Amino acid sequence: MPLPAPLSEEQVYHGCPTEKLDFITTDDLEDLEQPCGQDRVLRALEFGASMQASGFNLFVLGPSGAGKHELVERFLSQHAARQPVPPDWCHVFNFGFSDRPKAIQLPAGEGQQFKKGMDDLAEELRTAIPAAFESEEYQARLQELQEEMAKRQHQGLFEIQEEANRNNIAMITTPAGFTFAPMRKGEVIDPEEYKTFSDEEKQLIESKVEELQKKLQQTIQQVPRLRKEVRERVHALNEEMVQLTLGGPIGELREKWSHLPDVVDYLDAVREDVVEHAEAFQGSDNGPPAGLLARYRVNLLVDNADTLGAPIIYEDLPNHQHLAGQIEHRAHQGNLYTDFTLIRGGSVHRASGGYLIIDARRVLTQPMAWESLKRILFSGEIRIESLERLYGLVSTVSLQPEPIPVSVKVLLLGDRMLYYLLSHYDPDFLDLFKVEADFEDDLDRNDDCYELYSRMIATMARTLEIRALERDAVARLIEHASRLAADQRKLTAHDRVLRDILSEADHWAGQSSADTVEARHIQQAIDEREYRASRVRERSREQISRGIVMIATEGEEVARVNGLSVLRLGASMFGQPTRITATARPGKGQVVDIEREAKLGGPIHSKSVMILSRFLASRYAGEGDLSLSASLAFEQSYGGVEGDSASVAETCVLLSAISRVPLKQSFAVTGSMNQHGEVQAVGGVNEKIEGFFDVCREAGEIGGQGVLLPASNVEHLMLRADVRQAIAEDRFRIYPVSDINQAIELLTGLEAGEPGSSGEFPENSFNRRVAERLARFAEASKKRDDNADANSSGGKGSD
Amino acid sequence: MSYAALGAAAEIAANTGADVLGVFVEELNLLRSAGYDFAREVGSASGVSRPFDPTKLEQRMQRLAGQARCALAGAVAHYGGRHTLSIARGSVVEEVLALAGPQDLLVLGRVGWSSAPGARLGSTARGLLRRSPGRVLFWCERRVLPQGRVVVFLNDHEDANRRAIRATAEAVRHSHQPVTLLLGSGSEMPLEAFQAIRQDLGIPESDLRVRSLPATDPVTVVQVLRQEKAAQLVLSRECTLLQEPGAEQLLVALNLPVTVTP
Repeated sequence: MPLPAPLSEEQVYHGCPTEKLDFITTDDLEDLEQPCGQDRVLRALEFGASMQASGFNLFVLGPSGAGKHELVERFLSQHAARQPVPPDWCHVFNFGFSDRPKAIQLPAGEGQQFKKGMDDLAEELRTAIPAAFESEEYQARLQELQEEMAKRQHQGLFEIQEEANRNNIAMITTPAGFTFAPMRKGEVIDPEEYKTFSDEEKQLIESKVEELQKKLQQTIQQVPRLRKEVRERVHALNEEMVQLTLGGPIGELREKWSHLPDVVDYLDAVREDVVEHAEAFQGSDNGPPAGLLARYRVNLLVDNADTLGAPIIYEDLPNHQHLAGQIEHRAHQGNLYTDFTLIRGGSVHRASGGYLIIDARRVLTQPMAWESLKRILFSGEIRIESLERLYGLVSTVSLQPEPIPVSVKVLLLGDRMLYYLLSHYDPDFLDLFKVEADFEDDLDRNDDCYELYSRMIATMARTLEIRALERDAVARLIEHASRLAADQRKLTAHDRVLRDILSEADHWAGQSSADTVEARHIQQAIDEREYRASRVRERSREQISRGIVMIATEGEEVARVNGLSVLRLGASMFGQPTRITATARPGKGQVVDIEREAKLGGPIHSKSVMILSRFLASRYAGEGDLSLSASLAFEQSYGGVEGDSASVAETCVLLSAISRVPLKQSFAVTGSMNQHGEVQAVGGVNEKIEGFFDVCREAGEIGGQGVLLPASNVEHLMLRADVRQAIAEDRFRIYPVSDINQAIELLTGLEAGEPGSSGEFPENSFNRRVAERLARFAEASKKRDDNADANSSGGKGSD
Repeated sequence: MSYAALGAAAEIAANTGADVLGVFVEELNLLRSAGYDFAREVGSASGVSRPFDPTKLEQRMQRLAGQARCALAGAVAHYGGRHTLSIARGSVVEEVLALAGPQDLLVLGRVGWSSAPGARLGSTARGLLRRSPGRVLFWCERRVLPQGRVVVFLNDHEDANRRAIRATAEAVRHSHQPVTLLLGSGSEMPLEAFQAIRQDLGIPESDLRVRSLPATDPVTVVQVLRQEKAAQLVLSRECTLLQEPGAEQLLVALNLPVTVTP
C-alpha cells in the first residue's frame, strides 16, 4: 500500500479569496433581509405562522446563541404586519352573579372608548341620580304613593271600625293589636252590666264581634300583599325617574354601541341595576357609595388601540400569572379585597390573535407554567385562576371571571435537547407543537456564499453600531467562521460568537485609534479570547514540558504511542497528546481495556477496544485461536476516556507490544478504525494537531514531528498560522491515513505487508513479525494447556 | 310609645326651662274590653286572634308603665331637667285635660297604625286638639331639612295670631330657623304689622317673609308648604284652615310637626 504524502499548507487551511469580496468596507454592503443559509427555519416559520389549524404551534430549536430570538422576531414583525388587528377585551361587572365578571369583546381600539363612555356615565350617575331623587317631583310622588298605599291599608280597618260603631261595638287599640267590645255612648260597657243583658242581645253582640274579628283578621292578613305592591310601585317610580335621568346618557351609549349586542345587554343591565339600587343613590351627603359606582367601570384587559397588525408578545418571565393573568387584591385594614377591576390580563391575552414568543427552558422551570400554557392551548380559552386556587390549596371566595377565548400562535425557543426530551416524555407536546423549526448550525461555504456572508457580517456590524470592517477583516472572520464550524466547506451560523468577536474587534480597533476594523483587530479579538481561556491548557502543557506528564516527541519506543485527545472547558476546547501503552503475552485472546476495568472508560471507548480485538483475531490468528493476553492504558489519565478516536493509536501500540517493533515518538496519532483496519474520521482534529504542535515546540525545535490523521478528516482542517508555517517549511508533517497499514508503516518505518495467497505475510514485514510472535504465543499456550491436562489426568488417576 | 315625641318634649323643656310631665293612662275602655268572656285580641301585624284576658292585660300595662318611666327618664337625662310620670286610669283625654293648664304644652306623638302616612287623626288627638287649654304640638318624626322654615298661618283673629307668633318665637329662639308668615287668600300685611311680628319673633328681616295663600283647600296648602320647605307649622285653633272640611286629615297628611295654639 503506497504511503500518503504529507499535506501541503493549502490542504490544511481554506483561505478566503479576497477577490471574491467586492467591497472596500462593510459600509458598501446592503443589509441582509433574511439570514443566509436558514431556509429550513424560514420555511418552517412561514408555514407555522400561516397555518390556521389548531396545534400548529412552533418549536424553534437550535443551540443557544444561534440568534433564534432575533430571527423569529424579525420574521414575525414582517409577517404579522399583514395580519388583521385582533379585538379588544374587557371585563365588566356581572349584575346577575357578582363573583363571575363578564367578558366583552370589542373591535380593536373601541375598548378605550367604551371604558371612557362608562367612566363618564358613572360620573354622571354620581350627581344626576341623587339630584333626581331629591327633586320635589320625586319626593312628592313618593309621598303620594306611600299615602295612597297607606290609605288602602287603613281603609279596610276604618270600614271595620265604622261597621263596629254602627253596631255599638267599640274597636279598641291594644298594645299589640285590636279588640272588640260592646259600647254605649262612646264608652265600653262594664262587663258586669253586660251580664244583665238578655241572652238574645248577648248572642247578637257576640256573633257580631266574631264576624268583625274575622273580617279584621282577613284585612290584616292582606297587608303583606299591599306592602309588596307598594314596593313594586316605588320600584316603578324609581325606574321612571332613572329612565328620565339616564334616558339621555344611556340612550346615547346604546345608540353608539348598537352594533355590539353584548354591550347593549350590559348597558341594559346597568340601567336595571341603577334602578335596583336607587335607594343607595339617595340620602348620603357624600354622594353614592364609591363601591356602587365602581361596578359600572370597565376593566380594559386587552387594548389593541395602538397595535399595528397582529401582536407579537415576548414573555420574558413566563410563569403562570404572567401567562394566564391574575386576580390582584387590595389590602385594607389588614383584609384583602378584590373586584373585577383588579383582574389583570396575561401575555396570552395580549398575544391573542397574534404570536407569543416564550423561552422553552424558562417556561419549563416555572412551577406549573407549562401545564397552564398547555391547558390554554388545548381549551382555546383563558380561565384566570390563581395557582393556589387551581390546585385546591385555598378555598376562600374569589372571582371567577368569564373565560376569554384565545387564538394564539405560540413560538417556543429552545435547544434541541429540550425538543427531543419533550417529544419523548410529554405526550401532549407533539399535539400542540406540530411545527419544528430547526436552525442550521453551519452554512455551506462555496463561491456564492461570500457575498451573502459578508452582507450578514455588515448587517451585524450595523446592528451592533460598531466600526465598519475592512475587506481583509471580513475575510479573516469568514476563515474563522470555518474554523468554528471545524470544516473547510462550512461556515458557522452561530450568531453570538460572531457578534462577540465583532464587538471585541471593534474594541481593539478603538484601542488602536483605527477608523475601521482591520484583519489584525479580528485576529487580536480571536487571540485574546483564546488567551483568556488558556489557563488550564497552559497548566497542562507545563506538566508535559516539565516531564511530570511523560510525552516523548522524538526517538522510538516499543509499546508506546502518542494519542491525541480533546478537552472541552466551557466555551473553549484544546487538544493535547496522551501516552498510550500496551502489554502483550500469551493468553486466551483477550485484550484488557484498563480504562474500562478502572471504570474510567466510556462505552464508545470499550466498543473501539472490542473492535480492535476482533481485528487482531481476524487478521493474525486466521483459522486458529488468538493466544493473547494484552492490555491497553492511557497513561497519566485520571479523568476518564470516551470516544473511539484513539483506536488507530491503540492498534498500533498493541501491535508494537506484540511484535516488539518500536514506534516513532515524533508522531501523534488520531483516528478510529473499523474491524477491517480502515481508518475513519474523528472530531476535534484542529485542536488535536495544534495541541501536539505546541507540545513539540515546547520540547525543543520543531523538526520532523507530525500527526497521523484520518484522510477523511483533511477537509476539516483549518489550522493556525504557525502550524501552517511549520508545514510550509516541512518541519511539521500531517499524514492523511486511510488504512491501519499506512499508520504502521509511518510509525515503524517497516513495510506492513499484505498477506499472500497462502495467507502468510511477506518475509520481514511488520505484519509477519506480529503473526510470528502470536504463533509463538499460541505454542506457549498450547504447551501450558497440555501440561495442565497431563496434571489434571494424573490427578484423576490418583483418585 | 312615641320615643320621638318624648325626645322632642324633653328638648323643648330643656330649652324653655320647663318640667316634663309624662302621662301614662290605663285606658278604661281597654280594661273593660278585656273583661268579656268572648274578648279576643287580633294581632296588628300577624292578624292572628288570641285570647284577651284582664290578668294578662294588667301585667302588660304594668310593664308598659315601667317602660314609659324608663323612656321618660332616659329622654330627659339626655337634655337635663326635671320630670314626673303620672299614671292614671280612665279616658286619656279627660285625664290629660285634668292635668294640663293654659301655660302647658301638650306634646303628642304618633304610634302604631296612626303613625303610618295617610292614617286618620285618632280620637285622642282630636279631643285634645279641640279642648286643650294650652298649646298642642303634634310631633312627627321626619328628616329635617337644613334650610327648613317655620311656617305660621295667620288670619284675622288678632289674639289667635298673637298666640301663634308667641309659639313661633319660642320655637325659633333656639333653632334659629327662618320664618314664613302665611296669610289667607287675598290678605295683605301692612309694613308696621310685619315689623311688629319680626320684633316679636326676634329674627333678622332676611329670615322672615310673607306669602298669601291662593286658596285654603288642603291641596294648595300642602303645595305651598312644600315650596316653603316647611320644617314646622304653627297655627291657631281658631284659624280658617282648621275649619275647612278635611282639615284634620290635612294635619296628618302634612307629615310635619304642627303646633296648634288655643
